[in-house]
Amino acid sequence: MSLIHTDACGTEPFDKTYSLGYQVHHKDWSPFPRVNHLRQTFLDRPYEIDVERLRLVTEAYKEHEGSPRKLQCAYAFENVLLNTQLFIYDEDLIVGEIAAPAKASPIYPEFSVHWIIDEILHSPFEEREHDQFYIRNEEERQEILELCAYWEGRTVADLIESRLDEDQIKGSEAGKKIFQTNLYHFAGTGHLAIDYAKLLRVGYNGLIQEAEEHLANLDMRDPEYADKKEFYQAMIIMHKAAKKYILRYAELAKEQAEKTADAKRKEELYAIEKNCRQIAGGPARTFWQAMQLFNLATTLIQVESNGHSISYGRMDQWLYPYYEADMKNGTITKEFALELIEVEYVKMNNPTKLKDKGSMAVRNGRGFGGESLTIGGVDRDGKDATNDLTMLMLEGSAHTRMMNPWVCVRMHEKTPYELKVKTVECIRAGYGHPKLFNDASAIKGMLRKGMTLEEARDYCVVGCVEISLPGKEYGWHDAAYVNTAKMMEMVLNGGRCLDCGPHCARWERCGALGKQIGPDTGSLASYKSFDEVLESVDKQFEYWTNQMCSSLCIIDNAHRARKPLPYLSAFYEDSMASGRDLTEGGAKYNGIGPQASGIATCADSLAAIKQLVFDEKRCTGEELLQAVKDNWKGHEKLYALVNSSKVHHYGNDDDYADELFKFMFECYCRHIRGRKNPRGGEFSPGVYSVNANVAMGMNTNASVDGRKAGEAISDNMGPVHTDGGSHDLNGPTAIVNSLAKVDHSLATNGTLMNLKFSQEAVAGVEGRDNLISFIEEYMAKEPMHVQFNIMSSETMRAAQKKPEDYKDMLVRVAGYSAYFVELGKPLQKDLIQRTELHF
Amino acid sequence: MAQQGNVFNIQRFTIHDGPGMRTELFLKGCPLRCEWCSNPESWTSSVQPGVYKTKCISQKKCGMCKEECPKEDVLQFVRGKLTSIDRSKCTNCLACYQACPSDAIKQWGKWMSVDECMKEIKKDLGYYERSGGGVTVSGGEPLLQSDFVAELFSRCKDEGIQTCLESTFCTEWEEAEKVLPYTDIVISDLKHMSSEVHRKYTGVTNERILDNLKRLADGHRELILRIPVIPGVNDDRENIEAAADFIIRELKGNVRTLQLLSFMRLGEEKYQSLGIPYKMEHVKINRKSFQKHVEELADYFNSRGIHCLVGTKEKQ
Repeated sequence: MSLIHTDACGTEPFDKTYSLGYQVHHKDWSPFPRVNHLRQTFLDRPYEIDVERLRLVTEAYKEHEGSPRKLQCAYAFENVLLNTQLFIYDEDLIVGEIAAPAKASPIYPEFSVHWIIDEILHSPFEEREHDQFYIRNEEERQEILELCAYWEGRTVADLIESRLDEDQIKGSEAGKKIFQTNLYHFAGTGHLAIDYAKLLRVGYNGLIQEAEEHLANLDMRDPEYADKKEFYQAMIIMHKAAKKYILRYAELAKEQAEKTADAKRKEELYAIEKNCRQIAGGPARTFWQAMQLFNLATTLIQVESNGHSISYGRMDQWLYPYYEADMKNGTITKEFALELIEVEYVKMNNPTKLKDKGSMAVRNGRGFGGESLTIGGVDRDGKDATNDLTMLMLEGSAHTRMMNPWVCVRMHEKTPYELKVKTVECIRAGYGHPKLFNDASAIKGMLRKGMTLEEARDYCVVGCVEISLPGKEYGWHDAAYVNTAKMMEMVLNGGRCLDCGPHCARWERCGALGKQIGPDTGSLASYKSFDEVLESVDKQFEYWTNQMCSSLCIIDNAHRARKPLPYLSAFYEDSMASGRDLTEGGAKYNGIGPQASGIATCADSLAAIKQLVFDEKRCTGEELLQAVKDNWKGHEKLYALVNSSKVHHYGNDDDYADELFKFMFECYCRHIRGRKNPRGGEFSPGVYSVNANVAMGMNTNASVDGRKAGEAISDNMGPVHTDGGSHDLNGPTAIVNSLAKVDHSLATNGTLMNLKFSQEAVAGVEGRDNLISFIEEYMAKEPMHVQFNIMSSETMRAAQKKPEDYKDMLVRVAGYSAYFVELGKPLQKDLIQRTELHF
Repeated sequence: MAQQGNVFNIQRFTIHDGPGMRTELFLKGCPLRCEWCSNPESWTSSVQPGVYKTKCISQKKCGMCKEECPKEDVLQFVRGKLTSIDRSKCTNCLACYQACPSDAIKQWGKWMSVDECMKEIKKDLGYYERSGGGVTVSGGEPLLQSDFVAELFSRCKDEGIQTCLESTFCTEWEEAEKVLPYTDIVISDLKHMSSEVHRKYTGVTNERILDNLKRLADGHRELILRIPVIPGVNDDRENIEAAADFIIRELKGNVRTLQLLSFMRLGEEKYQSLGIPYKMEHVKINRKSFQKHVEELADYFNSRGIHCLVGTKEKQ
């Protein structure tokens, strides 16, 4: 169905101005008092750890110890849904949490427990420097420890750890953090959007019926008969449990309606009851019911697994028919539709996720993270898909200004002017949303993954910047982070870390035995030509991507063995039809997407080597190597030089350095792309770091680009900024020209670009129009993504001093929107340092 | 042909001098010495070194500049760090700049060919087209290099790039005439209406400037006029009224926009780099009340029928 040429049923003025930059002490962005109230109660609530899911899941697994794994999963899910305490919050219009009160994090012992026990005993969550979580009392603390003890040896992580070999471990978080596979080693995968249109159309009953038919028609000669049988059985148990769970909400709403004296609230609660009764099994009949079913189905995905970035697909598209029908038959007003959107936006913030220390370092922030909501773009026929909801969803975003949802506007050549204005008005309000995606390069990227053009055009964004096909792709996006700057150490120093010595935890197994951590591919002291340096880079990349990708295959297989996802699989038509769980390759498209971080750090390092050692011979390779080994101490002249404008740097529209950035970018993509994964799909490279560049930098020795040990490596596609100075000096157009010299569609798992503009630069009608023109030209050059922080460094420094005043100040942390005051100090510093661009 | 220009800065993505997004070339050399000037590096026509002492990593750790300097005692160090250059002895040979590894010595001015400039300009072509922007040449006084600017602008017009000239117009009209055929928009200042006061604060009288502005207005040029509002210098009622009278009577109102630029302490670090005392040092203003004052001045101009805005904007 083509959704273009929709009639405008009731839009906001498209050129409304919201505000300029972050503003302190505001509480009422929304015109709806209800929304402002819900938002404030969210902000005021503590981050707690909730024991209930852990308790109910453990109980079910114990009871069904002898059952096949998929059925164990189903019984556990059912036990949670039938017994978890339900909450309907004051003034809320949509119900459904993740089997825990709002903002409290459940525990998912199926994935890993060792770190939970370890951190409770040795580095309590309450005492973290940031991302604290609070266990309610001593009894619950003991209960968590006891329940987790049951899981030791039974988790996904345990299986992974039993299989990783020494070579793989030494590269991962367990070793020198050359690559980090934490996310799916210790937790669920997520990173997907389901086919919401189908769910709303057929309801849970439709899905159950489909599963029952497949189950009835299974062929006993099929060698996978038992696997498929268990799969469908599990799916049916889980979806029937979902129905019962929703009816429990209906009962609760009714109960509360009967009790309340407030006539208006009574009416709302009865409406909630009615909505729940309808969608417990049936399809959505109204806009409100569609929102209700969406919220329940989505939060239940988060009850099944704590994979993050469960995204909402092209919400303005799949939700539109319900909006249009209600508007046409007069059962809804534009105002109420917007209020519902805003209520749901606030609600999207409720799920939180307790992460292990290591993951937390990579991913600051206590939400699940990455719940993207995609709007705009072209439809399956290539026509513009903008409709009323596109505009309302931006309006709602400006009215709520919270971490979630991560609104993503797809831009293309024919994006209507009105949508551009609305988008830019939101951007310059300075609350960190929306992010922008470029249909031109994203669709190319989807085609590279083997999709049809129609499918490619239907992409949505999941997580930070990963392009994915709703209901058809299980992309394992965000599977790992690669520290390319650390790999560069091996290139410089014969496969050894620059600080190789007895202080290293791996010394006894490595240096002391005369070994090096990576292969010896040469040393900066002895390379005869720059080509030899580049060859060495290529060899190190091959070696480390081999270690990483083989590790990821082990992790992938462990999820298949220990934590299948039958509830979620029902929303994937190919999984439903084939009887294969998503973890077994049931989706039509299967990927694994690891990302490179620090590409600019490597590019500027190579530029310095090329220029100073080989072209101009201003120093020898040996001197440069010694300088980084000494962390630049005693080499102040060289340190100043590599950080000065006399050396070529990426981000200045200077081909000398930009070519090297391109080399690094392509080198990484080449070594990832085309590798097969265990689900019958291929690996898919991404080039972004989110905020992992900060934690990675902490474990990385000095680098030739002029970075000292411990400083952040370069972020995402961005240029280098060290304590010695920002390397990009020519303003935003130069940065854009530099980053547009690479083919972004090669990074089929996404690229990420942050730009920070001062408020003054985008002020007034001229500032707005210039930003629109800037974005248009940016898109024409075909990078894949861009997002803006409109905020001054002064504001951020002020927030560091008085965090209580800036509690809700959102910043884009690369792909990713987070509350500034909740970030770790080093990441705050990194953000302040990112060059502020003046027009 | 094949003109060379002395350019001290090429600033991409400028939004303050002319419409849309622009690339701005700043040319060296200026007949004026405005006390509030924010580009003192533009004053002399020669290429010269500038000192950024905070970036010096010390003579002890480096000392390259001193080693390479052909003269004695030109480079002056305080507590081991380069702080200034004795301009009376310096020959502007730039050996120190070449040697400095740390950006502590900057080169003010660079001889560039029109081709080299065009290469930089064309990098942002798409941005000009989408935003209604283009190229602005400023300074210094660009008309001191009118042949270069004429050739540069003529090349821009060949490429379909909009051109904007920001000039003091304190030159012979003939210099302007070389450039104007290739110029789309002109920006100039009304610094003070009294010639005597003008001379006091800028070093030159204003007759020639005003005369040139009249010729521009007569020729129906797209003219953006600016008044840099300097407290105690030109923000009195008398001068403001005289400026309004001049625009209405002499320029016949042929001004696209009158922009009032509130005084800002800009360029102080450049004065330091050149060893020139900053005369606005003592000027302390209350930003809020001064801004209000400037807005009142704008209201006055608007009441006289002159389209006037505060800041470098053209739209409200």
